[in-house]
Amino acid sequence: MPSSRDEAATRETAAIRIDAPPVQTTPLAGAKLSARDVNVFYGDKQALFDISLDMPERAVTSLIGPSGCGKSTFLRCINRMNDTIAGCRVTGRIDLDGEDVNDKGLDPVLLRARVGMVFQKPNPFPKSIFENVAYGPRIHGISSSKTELEGIVETSLKRAGLWNEVSERLDQPGTGLSGGQQQRLVIARAIAVNPEVILMDEPCSALDPIATAKIEELIDELRTQYCIVIVTHSMAQAARVSQKTAFFHLGKLVEAGPTDEIFTNPRDTRTQDYITGRFG
Amino acid sequence: MTDAAIPPTAAGAKDLRSLVQSRLKARQAQEARFKFYGQLAIVLALSFLVVLLGRIIHQGASTFFDYRMSVAVYIDPAKVQRDDVASANFDLLVAEAVMVKLGEKDDEYGETSAKAMELLSNDLGFQLLSQVRDDPSLIGKTVTVTGPVRADAALYYKGQIKRSTPQGDRKLDDRQLAWLDRIKSMGMVSGGFNTQFLTRSDSTEPEQAGVLGAVVGSAMMLLVTAVLAVPIGMLAATYLEEFAPKNRWTDIIEVNINNLAAVPSIVYGLLGLAVFINWLHVPRSSPLLGGLVLALMALPTVIIATRAALKAVPPSIREAALGVGASKTQTVFHHVLPLAMPGVMTGAILSLAHALGETAPLLMIGMVSFVPGVPQAVTEAATVLPVQVFIWENASERAFHERTAGAIIVLLIFMIVMNLAAILLRRRFERRW
Repeated sequence: MPSSRDEAATRETAAIRIDAPPVQTTPLAGAKLSARDVNVFYGDKQALFDISLDMPERAVTSLIGPSGCGKSTFLRCINRMNDTIAGCRVTGRIDLDGEDVNDKGLDPVLLRARVGMVFQKPNPFPKSIFENVAYGPRIHGISSSKTELEGIVETSLKRAGLWNEVSERLDQPGTGLSGGQQQRLVIARAIAVNPEVILMDEPCSALDPIATAKIEELIDELRTQYCIVIVTHSMAQAARVSQKTAFFHLGKLVEAGPTDEIFTNPRDTRTQDYITGRFG
Repeated sequence: MTDAAIPPTAAGAKDLRSLVQSRLKARQAQEARFKFYGQLAIVLALSFLVVLLGRIIHQGASTFFDYRMSVAVYIDPAKVQRDDVASANFDLLVAEAVMVKLGEKDDEYGETSAKAMELLSNDLGFQLLSQVRDDPSLIGKTVTVTGPVRADAALYYKGQIKRSTPQGDRKLDDRQLAWLDRIKSMGMVSGGFNTQFLTRSDSTEPEQAGVLGAVVGSAMMLLVTAVLAVPIGMLAATYLEEFAPKNRWTDIIEVNINNLAAVPSIVYGLLGLAVFINWLHVPRSSPLLGGLVLALMALPTVIIATRAALKAVPPSIREAALGVGASKTQTVFHHVLPLAMPGVMTGAILSLAHALGETAPLLMIGMVSFVPGVPQAVTEAATVLPVQVFIWENASERAFHERTAGAIIVLLIFMIVMNLAAILLRRRFERRW
């Protein structure tokens, strides 16, 4: 399985050379998410240019690039968070299991239940720890009884590696936790809905190294069940947690491929310059 | 980045020190000046407040103290007809009872009894009348009634009518003052807390006038205002802020709401007159009508405050809710609005406090009328505290002026109680995490 995925990724990378127009390819086997010719405009300003990228199932795809390169914008296209921004227009296709997420008939509520998101700054609701995790299952009607809901909350917190720290104080405010704990709480909140994809927008940028290590460990565990797409500023983090890396620059996808390949043998000089710290 | 690239500063080091030093004094002086101005402003503001409150309390405190008189009155069967109780002059009966105590006899023109009646509240006569009407067997017996002395007599007891004033310039003559001194020394008159001021409504006689009707009217009117303005304002603001598309129409609406908040309140009175009275036939001078007009007036403030509170909710909360798949409505009602609630409450309370003290629009809709009773329903004629203040301030009797200040004190207490309730309410909504 991993070898075929790498192969697929290599083929895709070869297709996306910055000089050549991106070649239309059918969604690759094993690709959970598949973006084709995604353009994003903020008013008249174009933020993303013809992004085509496959994000494989049960793996971590990291999006790297200098600030303002559009990687977060791309991430927010996947669960249509850009819908909430006035004047933002998205063209192209992003397929989730072959189904276009921008389909008019698809309610973003359903999409976001399938595609969870973790933000840069931990943003727990100003409610209790229990309520934070229970909120998603509750609004989607996932649990039919209180005991079932309690079970979901417990499992989610366990999977987020937070249970041992908070099991005694579930009624305490979620905002009273430390930054790292808050971020894991937010991850527990995302997985409580049982999504298929988890998007993470620089999840560790507000955390200290120890909390970061915990989150990275968690990402590595979650990878066995979910398709994870992570935006990160830290190339070391991308190298540590991801199996596939995509390098964005000035709104364009410069290069994408298996992480070890990108970091050891980048094809594009800009990628090389960026990962060796010459700019960004 | 080599050392050579940095311009040499060694020579300038001393200069910098002296440069900073030379300006340091000016900077510190500037800071000290600013602090002084700030403190001066606070002292000025506080002194204005002290003068204002001091003046009101000084003038109004005596309202809460009054002199009551107890008189034992013999109900003379010769003067009170069993089958026509109401035709008897009970005021005269009371006056005669007092005159007997004073050892005075009425002259043939009734001048002495007229002078005596000027000192006694006709409340005593009313009490006698109603007692005898309820129980005619009292005729021929002695009944003791207790009631306030006439307002002018009370003013003499309170030292506001002075014996040193020439007789022609005061309302009571020397003989009446002597009588007042004597009945006080006989123990017929006692001073105490003026409960009637709080348990009675407006009256033509100052000593019988109270604020209860106005307090109840104000409370009813505010209730109508709150029930209308707060939910409508919150819904309008929530829609505009969270749901409405941002385009030219919503811009126009926003500008107009801001303009409405600055419209003079009397204009709302005109609007109320035209729309609510002439067109919708809402009962004139009722708390319902006043509440409707003030709700219109309070709406823009509530909307602006709610929008500001919604804007202050961090976008990360909205993203968090949307991110787990909450719909727009769920996001707003589960997360954004609860977080904005303290700000919304503050705005609502401010606009209600403003409405409580509003007088001008109520004058336009006929609330400035003499209402001697307590309103039983929002559709009944009523008066409200600020208008009561206005009415009493315009009265000619001197005793009403002290009542004006007394009513202002009640109004201020009403406001303080309301604000306290608001703070408590806000605490409940506020999540301290």
